[in-house]
Amino acid sequence: LARHQFAVLSIAALALASSLWFFLDVLGTATHNTQTFGVASFENRFNDIRKTVQPHTVYGYASDNLDNDASALAEFHLTQYTLAPAIIEPTPNENLVIVNYHSKDLDMKLLQKYHLQPLESFGNGVELCRGVKQQ
Amino acid sequence: MMLLCLAAIWLAGFGLVRWMFPQPLRWSLHNVLLFSLAIGTGAGIASSVCFLALMLAGPSVTILESATGAAVVIALALGLFTKRRGTKLEWAEGPQVPWYLIALFVLAAALAVIMFLTAVSYSPHGEEGAWSIWNLKARFLFRAGSFWREAFSSDLSWSHPDYPLLLPALVELCWKVAGQESTDVPIAIAFLFALGTAGVLMSTLGVLRGKVYALIAGTLLLGTASFVALSAALYGDVPLSLYILATLALFCLQDRHPEDPRFTALAGLMAGFTAWTRNEGMIFVVAAIAARAFALVKFGERARVFPQLGRFLTGLAAPLAVVIAFKVRVAGPSGLLSLPASAIVKHVTDVARWIVTLEGLVVVLFTLGRFLIPIVMVLALYWYLVRFQVDARDRVALATAAVTLGLTLLTQLLVDLLYVDNLPLEIATSFERIFLQFWPAALLMFFMASGPLQLIAPKSLKKINKPARRAVETR
Repeated sequence: LARHQFAVLSIAALALASSLWFFLDVLGTATHNTQTFGVASFENRFNDIRKTVQPHTVYGYASDNLDNDASALAEFHLTQYTLAPAIIEPTPNENLVIVNYHSKDLDMKLLQKYHLQPLESFGNGVELCRGVKQQ
Repeated sequence: MMLLCLAAIWLAGFGLVRWMFPQPLRWSLHNVLLFSLAIGTGAGIASSVCFLALMLAGPSVTILESATGAAVVIALALGLFTKRRGTKLEWAEGPQVPWYLIALFVLAAALAVIMFLTAVSYSPHGEEGAWSIWNLKARFLFRAGSFWREAFSSDLSWSHPDYPLLLPALVELCWKVAGQESTDVPIAIAFLFALGTAGVLMSTLGVLRGKVYALIAGTLLLGTASFVALSAALYGDVPLSLYILATLALFCLQDRHPEDPRFTALAGLMAGFTAWTRNEGMIFVVAAIAARAFALVKFGERARVFPQLGRFLTGLAAPLAVVIAFKVRVAGPSGLLSLPASAIVKHVTDVARWIVTLEGLVVVLFTLGRFLIPIVMVLALYWYLVRFQVDARDRVALATAAVTLGLTLLTQLLVDLLYVDNLPLEIATSFERIFLQFWPAALLMFFMASGPLQLIAPKSLKKINKPARRAVETR
């Protein structure tokens, strides 16, 4: 009897204690993280341009993220997620290019680097530019 | 409206499984099992109908609502108006349930719900793997109108355009019925699948072994922090785990009730939905067929092989047809299978990749579930104290489950080894998820094989004094 009780209680106690420990972790993340980089904040930034996109449209993408920045790829994915059903290509070589920048003002050097001309600013670090599609 | 749509889908699933296993509508273990299976059945049927309507008739909301509505009404009518009485599933006779086991289960369930709600309120779109694959496709299907096929464009190869559509189509269906997008839908679907998994595990063990085993397994599953976290991450892994568990659980019930072949037919349907949930499901389907045939032959039941496989394939046919239609007519290219043969040969002959894979396996075995102490050690302790004692009636089912999970795991590891370029990253991000897909089914197997438990002293023993009782217990 005692062996069986010990076997069952050890499993149940471990499950509960581990679960509680993990829950405290989740709670800590949820209450202390201001979530500057997240889907909701990203969608808010892109809200205005999202209203203008049409299905069956292809946009290029350029960003001031450094190539080795871990969040660069995630931000590109978020841009696609936010702007679906338009298709976002991970290149500035399209006729219309969405520029995602993080500084207060758009850096013209970034536009020159990719041969882009500003078309419309949507604020919050989002700019629509004209680019040159390369086959 | 969205939640009503989900409730209708759940009821449709219940209608279908009740048509197969009818019993009076009242609170019973039988109906708890049916309601748990119904989550998977309803979701699978609704998403299949949604996809077929989209593929055959375009993105018309009227046609979609009519087709889905007809499926719901037919399934409900089948379930509610059936006159016959089928196999009745009841609690197995087992050891008495101590109060603390119920209390621990309630605590684990409450903690799991709170943890799930906290996680989804922080990340309502789920983790990156969820929104960049499943929810992105749902958005394309919902927003793109007649251009919905662009969700599977090769331009979105990073979003795996070859992944099947059970989850995206289900989310799209609810959004279209409600006329708006909301993160509530994927969250509610994830919650229902987690609930269904716990329900199928507990009710199957209740039928096969009794309440004590059902409660221990339920406590352990809901106390597996990473399983709850995976569910709240809105990935496709927990839905897949429900279908894997349901398939193997139905094989177990089939062996206890060989006179009712419907269990195997429903197992086939559930297996088909694994392939409609994730690509790995196709590996599971093949493994399940091979394992069932092997187990039946191994335990001298050759005569049952072809009739059972026939039933299984009957259930499998419809979802498999949907998967094939999707793969042939809609799905985008698979990045994985486009690897040149020379790269595959290079991967196979690289010894370091084998070592990294083995290391990854060992690490995940000891970190699985994010338990404070490795769960394999605690389960080993349980085995040492209680031992295994397999009922002769369960041998074929246990062998089926063990071989199925083993084959599926082995094949998945082999696919990673052969095709994946960045293996360390793949191991770090997907190994635990693969194991968690099997976790509910593994718990079912473990507690089916567990030796008999005694947690409360029999009444006759309570009457005698303590030293004498100890002597009797020791004997």
